[in-house]
Amino acid sequence: MTHDAKPPAQPEAPLEPGQYGQFLKEHGIATNRLADSCGIETIAIQAEHLPSALKLLRNSQEVKLDLLITVSGVDNNETFDSVYHLWSYSHTNELVIKVMIKKTDVPEGKLPMVPSISNFWSAANWHERETYDLVGIRYSGHPYLRRILNPWDWEGHPLRRDYKQPVDGLNDKNPHSFR
Amino acid sequence: MATELQNVDLKTDEMIINMGPQHPATHGVLRLILTLDGEMVRHVEPILGHLHRAQEWQGQNRTWFQYQALIDRVDYLSGMFTSWAMARSCEQLDGITVPRRAEYLRVLVSEMNRITSHLLWLGTYLIDLGAMFGFPFYPFREREKLLDLLEEIAGQRMMFNYIRIGGVQRDPKADWFQRVKKFTDEFPQRIDEYEAIVTENPIFLKRTKGVGILKQSVAKDYGVTGPCIRCSGIPLDLRRTKPYSVFPELKFDVITYDKEGDTWDRYMARILEMRQSNEIIKQCLDMIPEGEIMAKKQMAGMRIKAGEGFAAVESPRGILGCYVTSTGGEKPFRFRWRNPSFCNLSVLSELLVDSPIADIMAIFGSIDVILPDVDR
Repeated sequence: MTHDAKPPAQPEAPLEPGQYGQFLKEHGIATNRLADSCGIETIAIQAEHLPSALKLLRNSQEVKLDLLITVSGVDNNETFDSVYHLWSYSHTNELVIKVMIKKTDVPEGKLPMVPSISNFWSAANWHERETYDLVGIRYSGHPYLRRILNPWDWEGHPLRRDYKQPVDGLNDKNPHSFR
Repeated sequence: MATELQNVDLKTDEMIINMGPQHPATHGVLRLILTLDGEMVRHVEPILGHLHRAQEWQGQNRTWFQYQALIDRVDYLSGMFTSWAMARSCEQLDGITVPRRAEYLRVLVSEMNRITSHLLWLGTYLIDLGAMFGFPFYPFREREKLLDLLEEIAGQRMMFNYIRIGGVQRDPKADWFQRVKKFTDEFPQRIDEYEAIVTENPIFLKRTKGVGILKQSVAKDYGVTGPCIRCSGIPLDLRRTKPYSVFPELKFDVITYDKEGDTWDRYMARILEMRQSNEIIKQCLDMIPEGEIMAKKQMAGMRIKAGEGFAAVESPRGILGCYVTSTGGEKPFRFRWRNPSFCNLSVLSELLVDSPIADIMAIFGSIDVILPDVDR
């Protein structure tokens, strides 16, 4: 057993916070700076650029944002957002990336589409399944996109604003009671 | 006869076996679909959701004040940390400065909570490995003492609702600190007792040494945090790497192992963490200042300023955080949990491949997953 008591790793000269948008621009990926979320740089990105941008941010030596904290889905009033929180195992900078899809762009009866990143980043696998399950964002290219928390035959996506709770057929015989 | 058979290719089929969800060693209800080749596991598919309680949906449909009381149930073994993650995310949105006495009390109770969580893990892990002869009662003895102390200040044994947005719920009496001090004085000897039984036990070593090795690259790929990643050689401990609260003023080191961690290392890391938490509690008891304990008025119509933010704490299982979006209304607009158990469990399908069926519980237990935390 080796128990080292060493201080936390010092950042190896990472980029200044707030420059990740600039970094992506230098590599030919257009970004749109949004209002900071509690002091953390937040950028919006087009859906088709997402996998290449995340590959760049994860693998390039000067950035190394290699800890995917969450992939969350948000049903905003006008858009569906797929939000990626990126941290790092070796330094303390953070980045929030948003892919915003306008509700008017989504065809009737279809789910909004965002490219999946789980074929090169396993951490995203379950998060994307969960977001598909609860918010109803379809991640194209996901290896196994099926519901993870709700039963496989559940109807609707519970965290949508327009979601209607199903009537509990087992315990509640009257469909109009209390809901 | 035997030598003749060695050179013959016998056709064997893989067998699909269902395990759980009511398996006694899955710490809740986890279902695993195993593809077995004889004794060896070839593929695992975890099925989640048996304990899904729609915590995020409830967050959107409760007021801030109501939801505060509910979230201890997200991870019932470390309720202080879930409360603290929510409190931190709301405080940074609202721009609240928490009084110093409240910060010290938060560190104090959450480190006590970390010890109780690890103690329960220790007892149940030994049951998972087949040690049903009574060892689990030793850690539970100390755990009950700590839970009694926590119950005294919070009013509940496990669902504390003690850390609130803006501070803590109530100030303990003076003799409570003395009783905590007494506990911390005798606790290291108790850990020595557990270690005397377990650490060098030949059966325990056989079951855990070299089993379930978590490679650093795999752990990074799956976003593993907490003791599991520290055993794989990455010193990621939010209390040190991104210090919050009063942790910069306290003296402790991040526990890491340079090599690739197996299940025995993960056991040892938790034992060391309990000793470390004990030291942190002692320092807090010496350093705690007098003063206010609450900065924001707790009332039914409480509101949080509009905005969004993510805040995390280092829970016994890893990085526990929440991503909160507020529109300034009575209810959160979106409340998203980042649960360490959920992310750590996803590495299970990688860890179990090519290990014998008897090691499933040894490996699964060692990553310390709490199913309510996975399913929310």
